[in-house]
Amino acid sequence: MNQEETEMISRCQQGDQEALKEIFDKYHNKVYRIAYGVVRHREEALDIVQEVFIKLFRSIKNFKGKSHFYTYLYRMVMNTAIDHARKTGKQFISSLDEEGSFEPSDELEKGPERILLQKELEERVKGAMEKLPAEQRAALLFRDVEGLSYQEMAEAMGCSIGTVMSRLHYGRKRIQELLKDYVELHGQSRSSSNVSKGGNPPKL
Amino acid sequence: MKDSCFSISKLLEKYFDQEVTDKERLLIEGHLQDCPACQDALSSMEAIRTLIKVPIEEAAQKEDFPWVWQKIEREIRLQEKLTWWQSLRPWLDLSPLLKKKVWIPAAATIMVLLFITAQIFFKKIPSYSGASVVEYAESETNNIMVYDLEKAKVTIIWLFEGPEEEVIPS
Repeated sequence: MNQEETEMISRCQQGDQEALKEIFDKYHNKVYRIAYGVVRHREEALDIVQEVFIKLFRSIKNFKGKSHFYTYLYRMVMNTAIDHARKTGKQFISSLDEEGSFEPSDELEKGPERILLQKELEERVKGAMEKLPAEQRAALLFRDVEGLSYQEMAEAMGCSIGTVMSRLHYGRKRIQELLKDYVELHGQSRSSSNVSKGGNPPKL
Repeated sequence: MKDSCFSISKLLEKYFDQEVTDKERLLIEGHLQDCPACQDALSSMEAIRTLIKVPIEEAAQKEDFPWVWQKIEREIRLQEKLTWWQSLRPWLDLSPLLKKKVWIPAAATIMVLLFITAQIFFKKIPSYSGASVVEYAESETNNIMVYDLEKAKVTIIWLFEGPEEEVIPS
């Protein structure tokens, strides 16, 4: 945590709304991505963003600076999003889940058909993600979307690094099973090209 | 898949997440050069990452966050104006407890407490009907009566003023 951020947090702890605005400007995208990743619904994700920053303003006094601020914030987002998903009792069942496989083909190059296929794929990913337990979903989002390290994920999720690795492993395995047809085709087409070393999404 | 893949597969995910040591990295990269199966496994992980990440990033780019901030600001201002009893309302709201089914142990606890309280309130008070006078003494000023309660094994000594003189109407 740099000096500027420490000051910003300190001002916010004293009730300065301008400081909260600065925190919002810095983190709203990340908060939205996690929220959207969990609930997969635009309006709900925006409600979660709103709820998280209001909660943060009220409870930031409890932040003692022992962990990174963003892991503290991520933990808050994750808990709020999971609570939200449970409250609304959202159980997404994709109409495509039990249907025939999705096969990317040359059609992808065409306009409206490409968009349609893209939509179908998004729905399948959405359905697959919702079949994962919340903790595994969170692990995938923290790692594959936000690029957190195992240590940072353990802080944000309040568990050990071993548990983080286990959640990631089982989450990936399950997604791979659910999207087997697409992953196989997509993976094979890429294996000969550029994926011969570990990938890492951009960090915070 | 080769025999050596078994030992590599445990490290492959760590390698993909860039959490391996330099020594482990060299080991895996050496293995990957000759192993199409592990290359495919790695590509699958990459494909999953893309599938998860891209729609989320696209969704985030479409949002109008200044509008969200306005809502947050308004909500904070509104909450600051709440009266004291309004601010107590979330604490008095029992619906989350009911949803979490904590009411089952809570109801059981209340039942136990009611049972214990009832025991205290409805405890049978010993009746003196079974009492028998053991001794009775009179004096000019006071009388003493001694009762013995057989059931409760209690002795009561009753000291009272002497008998009033009967008033005879003239």
